[in-house]
Amino acid sequence: MEILKGIIDNYYYMVAIILFVIGMYTMLTHSNMIKKVIAMNIMDASVFLMFVAVGYAHGSQAPIIREGADVLYANPLPGALILTGIVVAVSVTAYALSLVVKIYRYYETCDYDEICEIRSRE
Amino acid sequence: MGLSEHFPALIVAVFIFAAFLSPLLYRWARHLSAAYLVVTLLAAFGMVIALLVQVQHSGPVYYHMGGWPPPWGIEFKADALRLYILLVVIGVSLWVFIYALRDLQHELKRRVIGWYYTLYALLVGSMAGMALTNDLFNLFVLMEICAISACAIISIKEDRECLEASFKYLILSAMGTGCFLLGVVMLYMVTGYLNYSFMQAELVEAFNYYPRNIFTAAALFIVAFGTKAALFPLHVWLPDAHASAPSPSSAMLSGVVIKIYAFGLFLMFYEVFPPELLRTIPLNEIVLWLASLGAIFGSVYAMMQSDLKKMLAFSSIGQIAYIFMGIGFNHDLAMVGGFYHLMVHAVTKAMLFMAAGVIIYSTGIRKIEDLAGIGRVLPVTMIAFSIGSASMVGLPGTGGLISKWFLALSALEIGRPVFVIVILASSLLNAVYYMPIVINAFMHHHEFGADFKPVPRVMKACMIAGMIFVVVSGFYTTPVVNLLEQAAELFF
Repeated sequence: MEILKGIIDNYYYMVAIILFVIGMYTMLTHSNMIKKVIAMNIMDASVFLMFVAVGYAHGSQAPIIREGADVLYANPLPGALILTGIVVAVSVTAYALSLVVKIYRYYETCDYDEICEIRSRE
Repeated sequence: MGLSEHFPALIVAVFIFAAFLSPLLYRWARHLSAAYLVVTLLAAFGMVIALLVQVQHSGPVYYHMGGWPPPWGIEFKADALRLYILLVVIGVSLWVFIYALRDLQHELKRRVIGWYYTLYALLVGSMAGMALTNDLFNLFVLMEICAISACAIISIKEDRECLEASFKYLILSAMGTGCFLLGVVMLYMVTGYLNYSFMQAELVEAFNYYPRNIFTAAALFIVAFGTKAALFPLHVWLPDAHASAPSPSSAMLSGVVIKIYAFGLFLMFYEVFPPELLRTIPLNEIVLWLASLGAIFGSVYAMMQSDLKKMLAFSSIGQIAYIFMGIGFNHDLAMVGGFYHLMVHAVTKAMLFMAAGVIIYSTGIRKIEDLAGIGRVLPVTMIAFSIGSASMVGLPGTGGLISKWFLALSALEIGRPVFVIVILASSLLNAVYYMPIVINAFMHHHEFGADFKPVPRVMKACMIAGMIFVVVSGFYTTPVVNLLEQAAELFF
């Protein structure tokens, strides 16, 4: 029961982990390269979600300090870090997609299994 | 003081600056662009030596980025071990770059060579940063820069194998960084710090309350660094990537890139995780057994290859295992052996890939069985290949013996002679696939006709420098071993 309560209280972590596993599984098992890149983004986004969730406390506000106001602030550091992480993920995605385009020009397919088939025929 | 205060940051900054300037220089002042990168590498090498002298006199140097003290700002730390890794990384990069000056003109289209310099500078800069940084998130960013530039120096050749290999490499290394970042989140959740030193201090206490988070992080880190450093069952990307790349890229990737991740795992084990963790769950044991399997299977796979560069790539899987063994034994002699092997293998494998590159440049041969009798046509290259092979096997008089010697000694000291057998068996397996090439190259007679190109002098000079280094590292070991023993005292 206690475990169940812990899960319900921290459901955002659970969502992040489920997304992470979906992303990782698709990335490693799917043969379509575009889907691999999409899965990579899902995986990255799940980690970002988790990181941002760590910085939030119940009932906290954006960390803009106002004089005299006695409120709880969210931790700004994870947000700042994840901004960097998103930039990194975007550049990796761009590079991966450009590779897919180049591979498509050689084989006229985005499917990894088909590429293996074409190569084994040669 | 003055400028020398900023050396830790400048070592990384000069490369990033060079990365942005290289394509411009290549466009407008072509003859300067290569020279500029050589000067950058030399300057960074000089700064590392200056820092090493300073560290030997007055202890580790800490540098706070932008003047923000940790735990808020990013901290760079320069101690003897990290500077040793930097010496290897920058030294090998400089040497491979000089070789690349001639080889690239043959392997790449003219217009992309300037961009290759950019990627090369980014790769070296990010590896230097990974060795120096003391902050987990900074490590993540540098790992991603390193991953992209490492994939890009493969795919820049733009033939089918290179593109496929680098896509595979990119996907698996993206999985690695994803796991790493998730591990960082797990640790940040329980400590609230990202700085290694602060985090370790906090984890000692947090370990009693949140052991599950820390176990998960440990597992994720082994997967992350294992994938990137090609630890045995996670090595699938390596053979294609290292074999299809242009030869200077292969030399860099096999020589230094995989090692920096092994070093990263070492730092996680001994500078981030609390010491109790290594006593509670057998992390070292896991790494040790995976490394033993890798040492055997890497060699077995290498034996089955018919392509020369593919064989060298599989051999890297066997050799990186020794460095992981150095981490896994959890003993000071093993650490000395592992890190000695890091240097020896970086130089040896880079030299072997250079020799393979020269063979491809000069004759176009890639198949192992076509190499019979090539020693008479390319004597310097094949002598370099022979000495490199001897060092891979661990014959006396080469650096390879020294590192295996230290590893075997520490296996005996902790009372586990079974690992001596693993080391011996993998050495014998190495001999089984390296020695026939050497023997066939010199003993056979074969007419190659007149269609081979003469080897440029720069390439020959690079291989001769490598040979000298491999032999010297087999005899004159005291300075490096002393440095490593002194570094090991801090950990054990």
